[in-house]
Amino acid sequence: MGKKTIFDKCRKNKESSYVDCELGSLDELKAVIPSNFLRDDLPLPNLGELDVVRHYTHLGSLNFSVDTNFYPLGSCTMKYNPKINEAIAHLKGFTDIHPYQSEKDIQGALELMYCLEEALCEITGMKRFSFQPSSGAQGELAGMLMVRKFHQVHGNKKTKVIVPDTAHGTNPATAAMSGYAIQVIESSPEGLIDIKRLRNLVDEETAAIMLTNPNTLGLFEERILEISDIVHQKGGLLYYDGANFNPLLGITNPLLMGFDIVHLNLHKTFSTPHGCGGPGAGVVGVSDRLIDFLPAPLVEKNNGKFYFNYNLKHSIGRIRSFYGNFSVLVRTYAYILRLGRNGLIKAAQNAVLNANYLKEKLKENFEVAYLKECMHEVIFTCQQQKEKGVAVFDIAKRLIDYEIHPPTIYFPLIVKEALMVEPTETESKETIDYFIESMTKINNEIKENPQIVKNSPHTTPIKRVDETKAARCLDLRWKKTGD
Amino acid sequence: MPYILNTPEDVALMLKEIGAEDIEDLYKQVLSSLRIEGQLKLADGFSEFRVKCLLEGLSKKNHTIDEFNAFLGVGMYDHYVPAALSHILTNSQFLTAYTPYQAECSQGILQAIYEYQSYICLLTGMEVSNASLLDGASAFAEAALMALRITKRKKIILAGMIHPEYIQTLETYLSGLDFSIQSIPPNKHGVLNWQSLRLHVDSDVACCCVQSPNFFGLIEDIADLSEIVRKTGALTVMLTNPLSLAVLKEPELMGVDIVCGDGQALGGSLNMGGPSFGFLASKKNYVRQLPGRIVGKTVDNQKNTAYCLTLQAREQHIRREKATSNICSNHSFNAIIASVYLSLMGAEGLRRVAVSSFSNSQYLYRRLKEIRGVIFPFSSCFFNEFYWEVNNSQVVFDKLREKKIIPGYLLKDKLPEHQNGILSCCTEKKSKNEIDSFVNCLAEVLHG
Repeated sequence: MGKKTIFDKCRKNKESSYVDCELGSLDELKAVIPSNFLRDDLPLPNLGELDVVRHYTHLGSLNFSVDTNFYPLGSCTMKYNPKINEAIAHLKGFTDIHPYQSEKDIQGALELMYCLEEALCEITGMKRFSFQPSSGAQGELAGMLMVRKFHQVHGNKKTKVIVPDTAHGTNPATAAMSGYAIQVIESSPEGLIDIKRLRNLVDEETAAIMLTNPNTLGLFEERILEISDIVHQKGGLLYYDGANFNPLLGITNPLLMGFDIVHLNLHKTFSTPHGCGGPGAGVVGVSDRLIDFLPAPLVEKNNGKFYFNYNLKHSIGRIRSFYGNFSVLVRTYAYILRLGRNGLIKAAQNAVLNANYLKEKLKENFEVAYLKECMHEVIFTCQQQKEKGVAVFDIAKRLIDYEIHPPTIYFPLIVKEALMVEPTETESKETIDYFIESMTKINNEIKENPQIVKNSPHTTPIKRVDETKAARCLDLRWKKTGD
Repeated sequence: MPYILNTPEDVALMLKEIGAEDIEDLYKQVLSSLRIEGQLKLADGFSEFRVKCLLEGLSKKNHTIDEFNAFLGVGMYDHYVPAALSHILTNSQFLTAYTPYQAECSQGILQAIYEYQSYICLLTGMEVSNASLLDGASAFAEAALMALRITKRKKIILAGMIHPEYIQTLETYLSGLDFSIQSIPPNKHGVLNWQSLRLHVDSDVACCCVQSPNFFGLIEDIADLSEIVRKTGALTVMLTNPLSLAVLKEPELMGVDIVCGDGQALGGSLNMGGPSFGFLASKKNYVRQLPGRIVGKTVDNQKNTAYCLTLQAREQHIRREKATSNICSNHSFNAIIASVYLSLMGAEGLRRVAVSSFSNSQYLYRRLKEIRGVIFPFSSCFFNEFYWEVNNSQVVFDKLREKKIIPGYLLKDKLPEHQNGILSCCTEKKSKNEIDSFVNCLAEVLHG
């Protein structure tokens, strides 16, 4: 049954009675709507409920997930997603409210957004947040369009945005979508921003620099205040990509580091589930001088009543419909209440502890790309293994046989044969020890029997996938045989 | 502290391995000038029970849509969600996985997304679909950007009545780029202004964007539009409600090049507007200009059927500033919800939802027409939503609200030129009794 698509399981039975059709019929519809507006055929499969339940239960069972496997996917913060968050998000009082109900009917939702905003401001040092952006990249876009509008309002037509060579691909892609030319700054030999190079690069045309801190090498930019001074002195702004904020909860914040705009990936740092690729949320926060530029509306409070404020003088406008991914906000707020100030800092500390422990125990067999103490993730460069004919790609596939979801590979781009491991704080020492043990075994296999690694995975229902064929002979949708 | 498994003994052992005295040692790069003084000004963590009580309390401060006799749509529709769908959604092997970068341990996700793409193609008639975008409004913006890339032209035409929040989103997405947007408002009948369109659609235009059923709920003549557009070498971008495609003609057969919209109507909860998902499908020629993830079917090295992410060279993690979009995370989980919904409903079930929504709206429309003082400026056919006017709309609205009726969406805040306009919508969940009760109350409010 595994190979068939849902369309191949179609039955002849056409009955469906999930809903009533009390008042009309297809014939009535055909009498009202002209036939040139109507379709002749609706080629969807008809299935029994059991067919559907089995199909998706089976498909679910084919996936590695946080609930089933260690999932140290670097830069993605695959921490445990507490189940209370799900229970709360599924309360009818949160799921069954319409975005266009009047404000007095959704006071609970507005209060939640108001309180969550206060908490995120406290955590990041920012003054206000917009909850509209629904992914990290959309948060970046909102942020960079604010940069643009800010400079326009101040009469400066700046043209360039600086991104490090270690940056997530979304950073340069977003800066380009915001109409900026991109200047890539090469990292120092230590894997940090090269201050001298930065000084030479930053000029009156610099609109902003986009940074993660810790950066994507897992290293903390110690000289962040110098960086912010250099950029601010020329009138530029600092954009904080919050993808790596997890290790800094309660330790420092983007305001103290000199940032003007921040996006947070609530699905990373704040434990909301990643859902096969989303939904997440990329809420965007700003310091005082940028509040008026946020996407409207913001939630305000007056005499104990909460309301939407659309009146932001320089707002960049909407970045999506309605108010963002509300149910992701609900989960986030539940998480923050549950952890509290003591729990948030402990989460950060254990994320750093786990990563450093993993680094320390593996460094003998796998070369660490940058030796400095890491924060929440560590990047190995598997060049020694590559010299023995085994690529990091092969190592990743072999980890699947050990029931571990492979870490991020070939990123950051400046590290050869990069293996980027982010264990997160919710994993135990035993699990990390198991990862270390598995990696050590794989290293031995590379010496003794490299084929077993190169041909892996061996335990999955399908073996290595032909990605070249997928791109060359595009098959992107099911078709009826003979079509 | 919940969710941390390391014991104090573990921590001590681990620190010893690292060669650190205590956890603070691991933060020595974070200079004291950067450190937060003392603790965050938040409460200490609460027990799970207390979190539950607190947030349950907040949730009860909301009045859910089913506490009312509500006729509210405008892009978010209160359709029935089958129990089996809610059940499948608790599957944490979908919920707690991420983007299927590693195909061999993500075949279930990949197949589910491939099937989602197939469903979108079957509904729209298009040849290719991506793996979802964030919502309808950003999908609309991405569709326009895609047309600009394909045609290498600089101008977008917004034809007829399009959801204002979608237009605002499009304007924001384009605000940093060198493109122009021209709006061609609807004619006095609420639909496309053909005269004006013929005048303005020329060889500078990259695409003509249209919503059908439009913001007023009216069905547009897309085939006629696309014919005008095609002659100038521009593309037709259509925004639609995917449920309407259960009965309305496939966009592809009407000459549409790119079709997009919000997928919430296909089994999604209201969630105060999010998350839902955006869908985007096009003709095959444009596949390399699609934004976002795409799943392809292939084989493994044993020639077994397999699936993987494909055409990744379009995307930001490879192409960086030259990518087709900055999008990384999408709304796959919501897209999978739609697939499960369509699978449960099947052709018959989906058609039934569409026909029932249509018939209920028709019945409401006919009943409202009987009431003196209710004005219908437009007469074209609609799908599940329609526009009407009544004097002193706010007063009428408030009086009905007292009777636990939400007659629809009051347009005056969003569109001041429609001071007395209301958009009303029915889904299959509306009963004849509920509709009658609304109409009778309205008559009473207006005429005592």
